[in-house]
Amino acid sequence: MNVLVVLSAILFILMVLIGGRKGLRSFISLFLNFAVLILTVFFLLDPAMNPIILILIACAIISCINLFYINEVNSKTKTAFLSTVITIVFLVLLIYIMTDKLMIQGFSEEQVEELSTLFSLYIGLDFVKIAAAMIIVSTIGAITDVAISITSPMQEIFDQNPGITKKDLFISGIRIGRDILGSNTNTLFFAFFGGYLALLLWVKDMEYSIGEIANSKIFTSELLIILSAGIGIAMIIPIASWINSYYLVKKREQKALQKQEE
Amino acid sequence: MNLKNITYKQVIFYISLAVLLIGSLLFVNNNYSFYDRPIAKVMEAHLEESNDVVDAYGNEDRLFTQSIEAEVKNGAEKNRSIHLINEYSASGAFDQAYKEGDELFVWIDADTGKGGELTGTIQDVKRDKHILPIVWIFIFILLLIGKRQGFFSIISLILNAAILSYALDIYVENSNIGLLIICGVTVVLFTITSLLLINGFNEKTYAAIIATLLGTFISFFITYAVLWLTGESGLRYEEIDFLSRPYKPVLLAGLLIGSLGAVMDVAITMSSSVFEMYENNHAIDNKTLKKSGLHIGKDIMGTMTNILFFAYISGSIPMLLLFLKNASLWGFTLSLNLSLELARALAGGIGIVLAIPIGLYISIFFVNRKRGRV
Repeated sequence: MNVLVVLSAILFILMVLIGGRKGLRSFISLFLNFAVLILTVFFLLDPAMNPIILILIACAIISCINLFYINEVNSKTKTAFLSTVITIVFLVLLIYIMTDKLMIQGFSEEQVEELSTLFSLYIGLDFVKIAAAMIIVSTIGAITDVAISITSPMQEIFDQNPGITKKDLFISGIRIGRDILGSNTNTLFFAFFGGYLALLLWVKDMEYSIGEIANSKIFTSELLIILSAGIGIAMIIPIASWINSYYLVKKREQKALQKQEE
Repeated sequence: MNLKNITYKQVIFYISLAVLLIGSLLFVNNNYSFYDRPIAKVMEAHLEESNDVVDAYGNEDRLFTQSIEAEVKNGAEKNRSIHLINEYSASGAFDQAYKEGDELFVWIDADTGKGGELTGTIQDVKRDKHILPIVWIFIFILLLIGKRQGFFSIISLILNAAILSYALDIYVENSNIGLLIICGVTVVLFTITSLLLINGFNEKTYAAIIATLLGTFISFFITYAVLWLTGESGLRYEEIDFLSRPYKPVLLAGLLIGSLGAVMDVAITMSSSVFEMYENNHAIDNKTLKKSGLHIGKDIMGTMTNILFFAYISGSIPMLLLFLKNASLWGFTLSLNLSLELARALAGGIGIVLAIPIGLYISIFFVNRKRGRV
């Protein structure tokens, strides 16, 4: 039996057992997201396509799956979706500039030695843009998670205090965001640590000096991924809080206006 | 912001931050003499020639040759100019164009006589002066938005990185201690330090610590049993880059650490909400706690598993493209490059889902203990 099949089966059983219908939807969402990713890779193969545009579209579809399919379409998920898209656009520009400056695109010296004997590396794709796309995809799951974790309790607060001002609502959104910031960044930091374990051992075994580590392509690119994840998670907090408070208060004002006209 | 609210401590904090910022930026832009490897700063770069290439699979690319005049910034040949040749491709899978101001590590090949020009080969790019500003952007954005909690996230990142580095040092020096044992101990340390930093000393945190450790280790043993029972069929280890050690302990230890953050997140969410419900209503019965807790758990399991999924899978994108562009078949490419990442994501998912009931029951246990005391 294949390891991946058995692990998927265990995950499926656990999710359905504990989560019921929502667990089933969560499990299916993993497959849908995998399909979107593979499809994105398929389109990335075409040199005429712009990887940044492609990845923005992919991220929008992924956040639709994470927000609208796992949860449902309502004002909480809609504002979370809008905040995610805006954050991703900002973040992708920032990451693209950083990737270009750092020159960390493609493969590292250590990898190329082996790869160049097996593969043609002149494949006509824009690796700087692809690197930026890769970094943004690594944080998309966390960004949508923070977005929904902010807009959903904000709605509760709004319902409980119907007269709350836009500013107070925004501040409570920020406060909620701050509370989840630490555990969310930790989730990604540890995921990356676990993934980089082989690399870290390599660096220790090869006795890289601090100077070599601080300048090596592979190490700075992993660091950039970690830092971008933190920046992305922090950035969505004010964006989601602002959009949601703006939307909720605007809706209330419109309702009041309608009543007046009646 | 109200100026009166700024305390003396905060002023000291921000001033020392500013000093660190300026000092570190000055340092990385002038630290040439700290490097043994010669560094050259590009003064002029000219495009010499370019031509189109087509590889065996019909991929079109363009190759360029640059001739570069640079100035040596350190070592015996300091301040002399050096002539370098750079060949790069439009796609830039492992090369790139250089422009004025870029700093490069070089080999000095030949000296064409007194006062003449040196020639050399480019080794690598000096990246420290570019990564540092990003580190500072990260610090400022987290502090600005997250305030105290942002500060603790930064501290927790630094502390955990230090613990991991120290643990790996111990392993490298005493290879007779298994990597798994060392990482197991490290996981306990990570959990305690991170959860105490995020949540402080209280019963909520203790419940979360116990739930995290149980969840992480149970899911680890499930994965371990699956690997053992299936004889690891379907896993392809060929594509682990940077392998200087036996692959299996590295994969297993990575599994253990990788899912930890997500399991911690779930455990703390469960314990916070159970305690919150109890604090709001001391008369709440266990059945209601169970029901509402499970409801919250259902809400987070999907997004949490997706976080891990994307964090693991995305790194393979450049490699997938390279394989596919070199006419590798889709099935072969995916199984070779994604099998380990998918296994990691699935194992992490199992940990996340298990942490929901574990976190719930342990928190209820702690709540009941508190009830007994009151």
